[in-house]
Amino acid sequence: MSVSYWRLRDRYYRIIGSICDSCTYESFPKFNTCPKCKSHDISDKEMPNTGKIISYTLSYESMPGFEHELPMSIGLIKLDNGVNIVSQLVDSEVEDIKINATVKAVFRKINADGNSGQIYYGYKFKVINA
Amino acid sequence: MIIPTMKSSTPVYISGYGGYVPKLRLPTSDIAKLWKGSGSGPNEAKSVANIDEDTTTMAVESARNALSMSGLCDIGAIFVGTESKPYAVKPTSTIVAQALGVHKTLAADFEFACKAGTEAMQVITGLVGSGMISSGIALGVDTAQGRPGDNLEYTAGSAAAAFVLTNNSKRSIAKIEASTSYVTDTSDFWRRQTESFPRHLSRFTGEPAYFHHVESSVKQLLSEINLKPSDFKYAVFHQPNPKFPIQVAKRLGFTTEQIQPGLLNPIIGNPYSASSPLGLVSTFDVAKPGDRILLASFGSGAGSDSFSLLVEDGIMDKGPNYIPLTDIINDNKEIDYATYTKLRGILK
Ligand SMILES: [Zn+2]
Repeated sequence: MSVSYWRLRDRYYRIIGSICDSCTYESFPKFNTCPKCKSHDISDKEMPNTGKIISYTLSYESMPGFEHELPMSIGLIKLDNGVNIVSQLVDSEVEDIKINATVKAVFRKINADGNSGQIYYGYKFKVINA
Repeated sequence: MIIPTMKSSTPVYISGYGGYVPKLRLPTSDIAKLWKGSGSGPNEAKSVANIDEDTTTMAVESARNALSMSGLCDIGAIFVGTESKPYAVKPTSTIVAQALGVHKTLAADFEFACKAGTEAMQVITGLVGSGMISSGIALGVDTAQGRPGDNLEYTAGSAAAAFVLTNNSKRSIAKIEASTSYVTDTSDFWRRQTESFPRHLSRFTGEPAYFHHVESSVKQLLSEINLKPSDFKYAVFHQPNPKFPIQVAKRLGFTTEQIQPGLLNPIIGNPYSASSPLGLVSTFDVAKPGDRILLASFGSGAGSDSFSLLVEDGIMDKGPNYIPLTDIINDNKEIDYATYTKLRGILK
């Protein structure tokens, strides 16, 4: 877990996805072959940090390690460049989490390996147009 | 014994700043209800980091705002001043660097109780002013700890402030005119290695610690740059509680009006290393070109750094993404003491 997370830290810290240099198709997470034009000329691209909620769910059943964060809201977000991303929604009231709400990326702790292990950081989103 | 006023040989400017205050507020009346039955602390409420926030996450939020305002990318130093590093060994500053996408940079964590942030500003002023780097980010950040039931529990808040210092005068928000520092070995407040909460000698935190150091450093600065309190439009002092900054301002000849825009303790408490830096963020939000600002920190153990800053035209253009600190502070939610203990991991 920790080594693979380390390899992907730019994905989690900065929302780095890919852009196709041939047809400008963008996606997150990164891809090696453009799903649209099959090109291999791909560059890293930092995704926009704002978007809108297109779907969401409120979970009252926790995943192991997230017991203190109930209820947990998860959103499917369309970023300003049209790319979809799934993320936890934080610092947002349940009544403000609705379709079309504007959200902004924030940098948060995702989890930690107990009290002595590594801390995992990454993106989450919060509603800003409440 | 007193360090002479520090001036860089070439000018150094602040070209971006950012503050971050977590959303949650714990009213001090809730703390008092538990420990004393009634009443409140000296401040109305304190800011509390959420369960997924720590010094690193708040540092990243404030640094992103400061960097975005500056429009700069050639960052040669990232120094995080804090006494609440998430890792005892492993720098916070490298995580901030990775999150900003900055790699060809110095990175270090500074420690000096509540004045580690202003210390980071002074070191970057030296690096930029000497020409070793062109720009750097200085941060003051803390998730302040207070032992349950201790007086510090009422005031210990959480926040972050970041400043981009640069030799590039183009977007200068303020010029750093001079700074000074004054230190002694004074055991007013400390935390031993492996302990979770700091300890303090109550009566010692006032006269021999806060007042002696802040007054010494500010008087030294004013005499060396030949300015008087009335030459400043605003002043920001470290805020361990709402009273000390008002008292020290009065003793030094500053008015309550001068310190008002930067006085945040009543609503968010004392976010340690972020306290006076966040007061500066709040003061920049209302400042106009030509205003002179005094900034004086205090760190237990003990010392005080003071700065003279001259606001410049860049203050009028904070960029399209800037959110005033008042808006960040007003976006808040009250929590109770039980929620606070759960969020901060005080239950063991
Ligand atoms: Zn393509």
